[in-house]
Amino acid sequence: MKNELSQLFLRLLCSGFPIISQMALSSFPDPEAAESYSRSIRAEVLERLPELLEEFEKKAISRGVKVIWAKDAAEANNIILDIARQKGVEYVTKGKSMITEEIGLNEHLIKNGINVYETDLGEVITQQLCLPPFHLVGPAINVPPEKISDIFLKNSILKEPTTDPVTLGKAVRTFLREKFRTQEMGIVGVNMAVAETGTFINVENEGNIRMNKSSPKTLVAIMSLEKVVPTMADAIHMTRMLIRNCTGQKMTSYVSFDTGPKKADELDGPEDIYMVILDNGRSEIYKDFKVRDILKCIRCGACMNTCPVYARIGGYPYGFTYAGPMGQAINPLLFGIENTTDLYRACTLCGSCKKTCPAGVDHPFLFLEYRSREVRRKNAKGNRTLLSRLDNTMATISSFGMRHSWAWNLGVKCVRAILNSSSKDGYIQDIPFGVKGWFSCRDLMAIPDRTFHESWKDLQNEPVPLADKNNEDVI
Amino acid sequence: MSMQAREEILGRLKSARKNTPAARPAKPVLSEINLDKEQLLQRFTSELNAQTGAVYQAKDKEDAVRILSEIASAEGLKSILATSADIYGVDIRAFGSQNNISVSTVQDFSDRKAFRESAFAVDAGITSADFAVAETGTLGVIFYKDQPRLVSIAPPVHIAIVPVDNLYPVYENVIDQVFDNTDKIPSQFCFITGPSSTADIKGVHFKGMHGPVKIFVIFIMTGGMGHENSNGPG
Repeated sequence: MKNELSQLFLRLLCSGFPIISQMALSSFPDPEAAESYSRSIRAEVLERLPELLEEFEKKAISRGVKVIWAKDAAEANNIILDIARQKGVEYVTKGKSMITEEIGLNEHLIKNGINVYETDLGEVITQQLCLPPFHLVGPAINVPPEKISDIFLKNSILKEPTTDPVTLGKAVRTFLREKFRTQEMGIVGVNMAVAETGTFINVENEGNIRMNKSSPKTLVAIMSLEKVVPTMADAIHMTRMLIRNCTGQKMTSYVSFDTGPKKADELDGPEDIYMVILDNGRSEIYKDFKVRDILKCIRCGACMNTCPVYARIGGYPYGFTYAGPMGQAINPLLFGIENTTDLYRACTLCGSCKKTCPAGVDHPFLFLEYRSREVRRKNAKGNRTLLSRLDNTMATISSFGMRHSWAWNLGVKCVRAILNSSSKDGYIQDIPFGVKGWFSCRDLMAIPDRTFHESWKDLQNEPVPLADKNNEDVI
Repeated sequence: MSMQAREEILGRLKSARKNTPAARPAKPVLSEINLDKEQLLQRFTSELNAQTGAVYQAKDKEDAVRILSEIASAEGLKSILATSADIYGVDIRAFGSQNNISVSTVQDFSDRKAFRESAFAVDAGITSADFAVAETGTLGVIFYKDQPRLVSIAPPVHIAIVPVDNLYPVYENVIDQVFDNTDKIPSQFCFITGPSSTADIKGVHFKGMHGPVKIFVIFIMTGGMGHENSNGPG
């Protein structure tokens, strides 16, 4: 990571955020009780998912919302494109939504002639620079202002170059106000859908989602199917937990609750609300009882902020929309365990993510389960390769050695002799069986001829010198 | 297409293994419910101040007009859009004429487009707030015919007038009132806590991203303007 700002941000985030978040959580008289309550809500959602979705659908339809189910990304993209075409809009504005990143909605709409304006400041920047999100909450927080200034100048958002974050932000405000003033269709994600009332909730600071839900005549909301919660009381508790874990605030600037389109006599608000409920592999995940807990995730990002691996590498290397522990947990299920081995193996299993998760996701358990499934898949008949056979043979030999001390000791003796045969000036710089990669940037110290046990035996037979005895007293 | 998708998705979900949901633990206690009226006001004020919002206490309607004039002069307001000419008894037109400010109200518009143009053009929006929540210095606003959404989000300054009797300890006090009567659930309800904000570039925090840059809350301290009189969808 050459970007110094990325490194600085990661250092500050991972050392500072957990403290800020804990401070916000301490506004509860009993933060642990609050956490266990939110975990119990998400656990209940999972158990009652189909029933809650049907209830939400029924209530939302009764309020005049047009509910559309989409099996996968292609179906969801086409549904939204069709709505835009039906309404004859030239452009749409969008609130920040990870689910639309997951399905590649922007690309699909733009390819088909509908312009898309992201409206969250971070998303505006990542859209213009064609970058993936660096962090769930601050997708462009690592991008240097010079780079932002250049692209804004190029795209006529800015008139004079500047590196002042506030001036850059205000330039986007001015640019997008014009779009909000004339927009005909807005697209937003959903933080929570309340089964009891058919309401959907958005949590935000910038006001762009409220603009999208107020100014245009058509509103499309898209949610993955696990976003539903049973009651409004549950939604309020989850909102408190989401915000504290997401930004470390106690409350965001806006939390808006939409229950149906505007009434006939209202002067603003959407005349039509389309609620797209997206599956995209989740119903299959749901059937997989051992790993479906990942559907409890509320996308707060707390697990990223506490993860020692994310703290070193940031969001880009994960290679998918979702980064950090939650990405390592969900991407293998969305894109295939066999295609994402690096994700669930790049983890020390320290358990920090699990400890901080307000939804009760057990990330390390999932990583171990994926590892085990992948090993079993590789060892299944028909999948065995020369390498995996070699791997197995080595494991069998090691296992035998560990169970029989004579074999182990013999092995150790032999390996020492073989390794040391390549030593030069006390260092081993290569070995006969060619693991050249390992030695390309490091050497191994030559291994002593005698083992620790042998040396220990020798020591027992030698008298302890007097001077050392005196030293022992001093120590 | 969508009916088939629906059946397939729900079918898969329903075919999955089921467990009875575990009993929930006790609902976490909120300390704010023990605050008295004065403490609630203090808490609301300090929380909103922390978000750069200003809180005023008007002795009566006339005092509210004086405070409005103070804000207007400090902010250099020339034009305002109000949700009504009479917000909890405060005469907005009188305030306008006293301060040489052009006042339009929601009732002046029947056309959606003209209303939207006005909301994006004025210096400030003046609204009532149906509720105030001490927990985080939050306003609760019900949107309906006489309280459109854009007045509190499009102009750069938002001024909200709320009777002190409508100040509650926690969100639940408000949510129950808005959502319990299923016949009266508004098309949109919103919690507003301070001006719009962001920290998306370098983590530098500033107010006034897409919504208001500044927010002012005026509590009308006169009693008897309680919840029964609060504005709301009829």
